[in-house]
Amino acid sequence: MITDFPALPVPLPDEAELAGELAALGGEPLLGKGVRRTLFPVITKEDVFGALLAVRKDPDRVVADFAGAYRDYVGAAYALPTASGTSSLHLALVGAGVEPGDEVIVPALTFIATAQAVVAAGGIPVFVDIDPDTYCMDPAAAAAAITGRTRALMPVHVHGLPADVVALRALADRHGIALVEDASHAHSASVGGAIAGSLGDTAGQSLMADKNFPLGGEGGIAFFATEQAYQRAVDYLARHHIDYGMSWVAAAFGSSQLERLPYYDAVRARNATLLGEALRGTELFTPPYVPDGHVHAYNMYRARLHPEAVGLGDLPIHAVTDAVHELLVAEGVPAREWQNAPIPFHLPFRHRAGFGNGWPFTLNPGAVRDYTPADFPVTIATLESTLVLCRELRSPVEWERVTRYGHAFAKVARRPDAIRDLVAQRAPRPRPYERAARLG
Amino acid sequence: MREFDTALVLSRVLTSGVVMSIERNDRELPGLERLLGQRYGGAKVCLVNSRTAAVHAAVAGLGLGHGDQVALADPPAWQRAFLGWLGITPVRGLGDTPAFEYREAGEFAPFSAPVLVVDLTPLGFGPAGAIVTDDETVWARAERLKIFGAYDLRTMWTQDEADPELVPGVQFNYRLSPLVAACIRTSLTAQSRLRKAA
Repeated sequence: MITDFPALPVPLPDEAELAGELAALGGEPLLGKGVRRTLFPVITKEDVFGALLAVRKDPDRVVADFAGAYRDYVGAAYALPTASGTSSLHLALVGAGVEPGDEVIVPALTFIATAQAVVAAGGIPVFVDIDPDTYCMDPAAAAAAITGRTRALMPVHVHGLPADVVALRALADRHGIALVEDASHAHSASVGGAIAGSLGDTAGQSLMADKNFPLGGEGGIAFFATEQAYQRAVDYLARHHIDYGMSWVAAAFGSSQLERLPYYDAVRARNATLLGEALRGTELFTPPYVPDGHVHAYNMYRARLHPEAVGLGDLPIHAVTDAVHELLVAEGVPAREWQNAPIPFHLPFRHRAGFGNGWPFTLNPGAVRDYTPADFPVTIATLESTLVLCRELRSPVEWERVTRYGHAFAKVARRPDAIRDLVAQRAPRPRPYERAARLG
Repeated sequence: MREFDTALVLSRVLTSGVVMSIERNDRELPGLERLLGQRYGGAKVCLVNSRTAAVHAAVAGLGLGHGDQVALADPPAWQRAFLGWLGITPVRGLGDTPAFEYREAGEFAPFSAPVLVVDLTPLGFGPAGAIVTDDETVWARAERLKIFGAYDLRTMWTQDEADPELVPGVQFNYRLSPLVAACIRTSLTAQSRLRKAA
C-alpha cells in the first residue's frame, strides 16, 4: 500500500468533536497521527503505462508531444519545455527581451526562483509590495518603481490566484515594457477564461512534482505570445550552449497527468469551497479572496487571522499567529508559514554576489538598494497574520480530511482563551522577517 | 540499456510513489551519488540536470565566478561558449592540472583534477550530469548553486549567516529527477556487468 491508498481511512467528521479539548492541551486531535500523511503526486496505472510506452518512442517526440498538448491546453502560441521552473522563467525573460542590466519588477512575496531567474537573465530584480487582498503584485507599487531602464513587469500568480493582469497589462503597454508571468503556482488558473501562461507576452511555469500539475520529478515550461519572443529564447540557448532540456521521462509522466488535470482542479476547487465555508463560520479566520472573473488554482491556501475579532487585538499579531499555528499542528493540520521574509531579505539578495563579483548588479548600481521593512508593509503584515496550507487541498485529499481541516480551524477559533494563554507562556519571538529567511 | 530494463526501472520508481527530488524519503538520488562516488573514486557527488549544469557546478564549486579565469587547456566549443555565458575565461597555463576533467558516462577511471565533470546524458534518459570531488567545500558550493539542493534542504529552516562563505549568489534549479536518476543508476550498473562479462 504505497501509492494506491493512505495507510488508514480518515474517520467521518463529527461536529461533536469540536467541543472537545484542544489537542495541544491533552484532547484528541481531529486528525490522528496515523491519518495525517497525504501522498502526492497521485501516480496511477496510466502513468506507469505511459512511461512504458514512452520507452519505445523517440525521446524528442515524447517531450514535443507533451509540450504541444500542454501549450494547447493553456492556449499559448509557443512553448519551450525545460528542465525546471527556474529555467523556464529565465527563458521567459530572455524571450521578453530582457538584457543584462535591465530592471525587472517583481513582487516581494514569491518563491526565490522568481528573482533568481531575473539575475540568471542578467537583470536586476526590483522588488515591490503586494496587494493586501490578492497577495499578488500591487499595480500601483509597480507603477511607482518603473524607471527608464525597466524592461519588464514580472507578476507572480502567487498561491495560484492570477495577478491583476488587466491593470498590469495596461501599465506595461503605457511604458512600452513587457509583461512576463510567473505562473508556477497557477496551473489551470484563469482570468476571464484565459489560462495563466497565456496572459502575458511570455510566461514561465514550474512543473516540478510538488506542484498542482506535476511532471516526473522536475520540469518547467516557458510560453511565448509571439514567434519572435520564442525564437529569441531558442537562439539564446543555442548561442550560449545552455542545456535546459526536459527529460523524456519527466515528459511522459506529464502527458498522462495532463489528462487528469481537470479532475485534480475540480477536487481542489471543491476542497477550497469546503474549507472556505468552515473558515467563514469562524470570527478568527477568513479564506483567500478571489476577484470576480478569476479562477484560483489553490496551489497554496493562505488563511488570514483576525485576532481583534475574538478579543485578541491587544496581542502582537505574529504571536497570535504563532500560537494558532501550534494549536492547528497539534490537531493534525499541517499549516505552515510558507515564506517568513520578503525575498529581498534572503541572503542572495542581501549579498548580491550574482554570477560572481557582483555581476549583473554592478551593471546598474542605480537599481540596487538595501531594502528595509518599510518598503514592504503589506508583505510583512501578510506574513505576520496568515497561515498556509500547501498540498492539503489537492487530490487525493478527500471530503473527510478537508472537512476535518475545517473543523480544526473552527475548534481553535473557539478558544481565544487558549491562544492568549499560549502567547503568554511562550518567550517573545522576533517578528517573522527578523528571523532567518527560509526558502519555503 | 535494454528497453525492458528501462521499463522495469520506471515501473519500480513510479510504484514507490516517490518522484520528487526534495522528498526526504527519496532513495534514488543518494543511490546514484554513492554509485558515482565509488566508480570514480570521489568522496562527494553533486547531481545536476545537464552537462552544462555540471560545468557550472564545477566552476562554482571551485569558487570561480564572473570575471574570473579557469585553467583549461582546450575546452570544446560548447564548454567555451557556456563558460563565456558565465563570464569565465578558459586559460592555458594557470597551473599544472586543469580545473576540472570532463568525461562522458561510463568512462570509469580515477581523476586527478580537483573536480570531475560527468555527462550522464549519453545514457539516454535526457539531460543529466554530475560532479565528483574529494573536496567538501567544492561540493557544498555546488549544492548551494541548486535551489533546494542538499545544502539548502539541510539548512532551509535555519538559514543564517553562520557560514558566510557559503552564501549563494545566483541559483538555478539544477536538481535531477529521481526517476531519471534511477534509470541512470540501473544503466550504469548494467554496463559494468556487461564489461565484466566481456
